[in-house]
Amino acid sequence: MKIKRIFKTIGFYLLLTIIVLFISLPLINMVGSSFKSTREILNNNNIFPEVFTWENYRNVLNRTPFLTYVRNSVVVAVLTAVVVGITSCLAGYAIARYQRHIRAFRYFSKLFLILQMFPAVLLMIPLVLVFIKVGLSDSLLGISLIYIAFNIPFCTWMISGFFEGIPVEMEEAAQIDGCTVFQSFCKLAVPLSLPGIASIMIYAFIGAWNEYMMANVINKSAEVKTLPVGLQSFILQFDTDWGSLMAASVLAIIPAMLFIIFMQKYIVAGLTAGAVKG
Amino acid sequence: MKKKKRKTAAEGYLFVMPATLIVLLVTVYPLVRGILVSFTNTNFLYPQKAKFVGLKNIIDIFKDKEFISALGFTIFFAVSSVVLIYLIGLALALLLNREFKGKGLFRAIMLLPWVIPNVVASNMWLWMLNDQTGMINLTLLKLGIIKEPILFLATPFMAKISTVIVNTWKSFPFMLLVLMAAMQNIPKELYESASMDGANAFQRFKNITLPMIKPVSITSTVLIMIWSFNNFETVFLLTKGGPASATSNISIYMYNSAFFRNQMGYASAIALVMLVFMIVLSSLYQYVLNRKED
Repeated sequence: MKIKRIFKTIGFYLLLTIIVLFISLPLINMVGSSFKSTREILNNNNIFPEVFTWENYRNVLNRTPFLTYVRNSVVVAVLTAVVVGITSCLAGYAIARYQRHIRAFRYFSKLFLILQMFPAVLLMIPLVLVFIKVGLSDSLLGISLIYIAFNIPFCTWMISGFFEGIPVEMEEAAQIDGCTVFQSFCKLAVPLSLPGIASIMIYAFIGAWNEYMMANVINKSAEVKTLPVGLQSFILQFDTDWGSLMAASVLAIIPAMLFIIFMQKYIVAGLTAGAVKG
Repeated sequence: MKKKKRKTAAEGYLFVMPATLIVLLVTVYPLVRGILVSFTNTNFLYPQKAKFVGLKNIIDIFKDKEFISALGFTIFFAVSSVVLIYLIGLALALLLNREFKGKGLFRAIMLLPWVIPNVVASNMWLWMLNDQTGMINLTLLKLGIIKEPILFLATPFMAKISTVIVNTWKSFPFMLLVLMAAMQNIPKELYESASMDGANAFQRFKNITLPMIKPVSITSTVLIMIWSFNNFETVFLLTKGGPASATSNISIYMYNSAFFRNQMGYASAIALVMLVFMIVLSSLYQYVLNRKED
């Protein structure tokens, strides 16, 4: 019996390892290629290089405006995460707590799905026209505004599920004792839902960090390009220099990888609360 | 003296105000403008010359052969993506839905594709699928499974398949996360009593797990369907809509109409038609699935 169980466990881990390797194969291939020299990358098709070199990384950091793109993306993603965190929290709280008072909030889930259906391309055309008119095109503020608006619906949906899971009695007691609603929100609801708030902020950060389509039509000048647009321009610039392209790509995914490895508990918790209520 | 405070509707509105204002300004206002533009012949190069043309754009769409073929690929792409993503997400969620050492690590690696920027994902896959130096072709050639390299992105049929595979790779983690969450919420007692009544693993899956995760499955498949339907980045970055517009979906067709042929009005009309189409389709889907339950 015991031997059978050991074999079962080994089989289970073996299966998982194979699946995980299969899923991350493109990733491993990318990392391996980024350390190959230009000559080796076209001739050696093993995953890892024979001669390990930092040449591609030096090339990216010294000969391209890579760091400018990183700075732009950091500004945009942090701004998006902070504003989405605050506004979605407020809205999500109201949607969780005021359904008895405001009928419209009960239809939020339906409205949310419809908001998701807007083809972003439909918004792209008028946004370009409007942004040129009000002077928001080619600016980090403009593109952040778009990301904030795009992330608010999903994040509000997620965080309202989180607030619904927190017992309302404590807040009611505090309000009877003279707290305003806003005070009980700040002092009771927010501290209890920090994991949820962390998860929506990470979600918004990653969304803003990764987005390409809007940034590609709104921010055209070199000094305000975000990382994905900059990376895409490398394809033309590097031509067939796959090594440098892979090195730039590896650098670009570091924040997302750090988030998923260290914060996955919060991401999972946040999504769970939002999604499970359906 | 303690004054008893009661919640009022006004407070609720105050709380949702900042979020609503931003969404109204940056999403709803442009949307309304987009709808208005779709009844005009707005040209990006001469915005002041725009004239109202009524329903002409919308009538033109249904006579447009390129639109019909884009619609065909979009439906193929969305449906096959949803099926693959749901099946893979479900299988992996079932696999991970137990306690074991290293669960967090395995889950983290499985979630990685989801957080990788589309630009990077497409570069990675372009490199993998390359017919001269790509890892897949080289491995298959070495093993003698194929004689000639497969042109993953250069023939219409393979390009369509490749885009679906990359989209599935990129999106299954969301499904996995959501389904795992739903499975964790199923009370353990249900399984215990079913086991005592002699139900085997498959029966427990069919009669407990599947019905219990149904509401979540409906919402998340609708979301994935919508996202795949509107997908622009994954396909555009991989193939630019080629070869010979075989993988040009509705979004890419709209993008090209608006920014290369400068037909803003016509492109907006396509977007409007798609929006109506999608609202009808997803309402129908939710209605049918929810009705079966009763």
